[in-house]
Amino acid sequence: MKGGPRKGRELPTVVWLAVRDYLHEWQMSVCFILALAAILAPMMVLFGLKFGIVTSMVDRLVQDPRNREVRPVGSGHFGPDWFEEMRARGDVAFVAPKTRSLAATINLYKPDDVGPSKIVNAELIPSGPGDPMLHPDAPKPQKIGEVIVSDSVARKLDATRGEIIDGSVTRVFRGARERVHLPLQVVGVAAPGAFSRDGAFASVALLDAVEDYRDGRAVTETGWPGEEPYAGERWYPGFRLFARSIYDVAGLADTLQERMGIEVRTRNADIEIVQSLDRNLSIVFWVVALVALVGFSLSLGASLWANVDRKRRELSVLRLIGVRTGGIIWFPVMQALLTGIFGWLLAGLIYLSVESALNHMFSGNMAIGESICRLLPEHYLGALYLTLASCVVASMLGGFKVSKIEPSEGMREY
Amino acid sequence: MAYRLRDVLKVRAAEGAEFRLAVPQLDIERGDKIALVGPSGCGKSTLLDMLALVLSPSKATVFDLFTEDAKPQDIALYWRKRRRDVLSTIRKHYIGYVLQTGGLLPFISVRDNIRLSLRLAPRAGWDTMKFVVEELGISRHLDKLPGALSVGERQRVAIARALVHRPSIVIADEPTASLDPCNASRTMRLFVRLTEELNLTLVIASHDADVVRELGLRELEHSFRTSENENVVVSEFKG
Repeated sequence: MKGGPRKGRELPTVVWLAVRDYLHEWQMSVCFILALAAILAPMMVLFGLKFGIVTSMVDRLVQDPRNREVRPVGSGHFGPDWFEEMRARGDVAFVAPKTRSLAATINLYKPDDVGPSKIVNAELIPSGPGDPMLHPDAPKPQKIGEVIVSDSVARKLDATRGEIIDGSVTRVFRGARERVHLPLQVVGVAAPGAFSRDGAFASVALLDAVEDYRDGRAVTETGWPGEEPYAGERWYPGFRLFARSIYDVAGLADTLQERMGIEVRTRNADIEIVQSLDRNLSIVFWVVALVALVGFSLSLGASLWANVDRKRRELSVLRLIGVRTGGIIWFPVMQALLTGIFGWLLAGLIYLSVESALNHMFSGNMAIGESICRLLPEHYLGALYLTLASCVVASMLGGFKVSKIEPSEGMREY
Repeated sequence: MAYRLRDVLKVRAAEGAEFRLAVPQLDIERGDKIALVGPSGCGKSTLLDMLALVLSPSKATVFDLFTEDAKPQDIALYWRKRRRDVLSTIRKHYIGYVLQTGGLLPFISVRDNIRLSLRLAPRAGWDTMKFVVEELGISRHLDKLPGALSVGERQRVAIARALVHRPSIVIADEPTASLDPCNASRTMRLFVRLTEELNLTLVIASHDADVVRELGLRELEHSFRTSENENVVVSEFKG
């Protein structure tokens, strides 16, 4: 013999035969594909709904920075070391000291108003770089003469970004009523949701100055008169504190309460509701998915088993012309994989049309960019992986039966 | 040498009686044209299946198959050790089998059916395929599915598939039994001539002793005997 037997291309041949048979018996194949898609498509819709709803809820929580705020109850005593420590923490996005709330107000008006100008009494909110309530790209109040006014103040004063407005503070000092003025540059207007009352986001320096002035002290930076200016370390009764993410809120609140003895309020209850909703919906989904996939595997397995019986003669012919047991097993496995791939494609198409219909129907209830039903590419891949896995499991049954076929049986019609 | 068998036995139980196929001694040389002739039920198919390595003997003192490089393959040992994959590989490369009917895959074309053995055991070139197909007169059917062919045409396709990869041995079980007599003898003649031209060893089962003699095949001695306790039928082939 010349060169000995060359390596037979057994596996590709069996795979090719399985594909040809699958196409030849296309009616049967279409039935398998439809049966798979009928199970897979509703599962994808179910998962898409769960994922879409939970994602929208989480997005809403994440997008609203108020959900990350940790607010102290009552007043305390917080020094520079404490603020330094909080700033250094990985789970803290922003912290600013708060002065006494009675002292943290300022009268604002626009000096170029004609006639008696409208004066707005605004709360001062300590702010600065990284304040989550302000747009991340907008300039922040950094100097004593800079403010970002709340939406209501901007409307009442008709103030826009870049304008100079007048801020004034009054006090009763040594029996006399006094007032000082400070020109303030409006570096921005906060979004309507950032602060609903009349307010001005200001640098901590401005809050310090206003408090000092009300306390009867002189303020060097602004040239306001009074008793000797404040010196030494400053201690504050409160703070504005925001966690890095909504998932850090609970831990941060625990640290403050348990370790530091500071009683705080958070919106953590909302976050926990979403998290437990996600968990419970996931459990429901996986129970349904498991039942459906096991059912599908059994039905596909039974069909493949019956198919092997039907094709006994053809398969024994393959054994007769020398296909080994290890090769012939690929016949049902390959056909199951084909069912899996085409069923998945069909289910994906059905899902996509249902998804767009659902999102269209519920578009009124959702914000722009939100969808009630959506899947990520990895979810499609996950569905494919699960489908192929259950197809392979199903074809094991047929493969086992195939492996028992002897080349001598079924060759002859008795 | 192609086959050497000594004391090979296949036992089959059927309806309370026992059927024994016995081959005390069988030597087949390379290029031999052997015919098994006998009434139906005498175990021709059983012997062919054993020679084609698809049926295990119940007992075999010697069962050697010689490949083209004259290396003996101890088939009896492979069966004992359940080395079915080795038997599959030998079958794939060295044996072509023509069944009494059918054996074609209905879902691929005639061309693909014939090429199947060539795909699995790429030993011969395409020129063999062209030659065999032309000699058997099935060129114009190559693109059809087997279902579109007559029984006679299908048998010729089955013959083509058994020859196209140039095995050492071709085994045929009444390959023309389902054809009309005129067609049958023409196909049989063509088949035997092709095996001669391709220089293959041929083992064929037939019930028609005249055709066997006319084509110059060597007929194995066959005898029936009933053993002492009436329940055991022994069919013996020798040669």
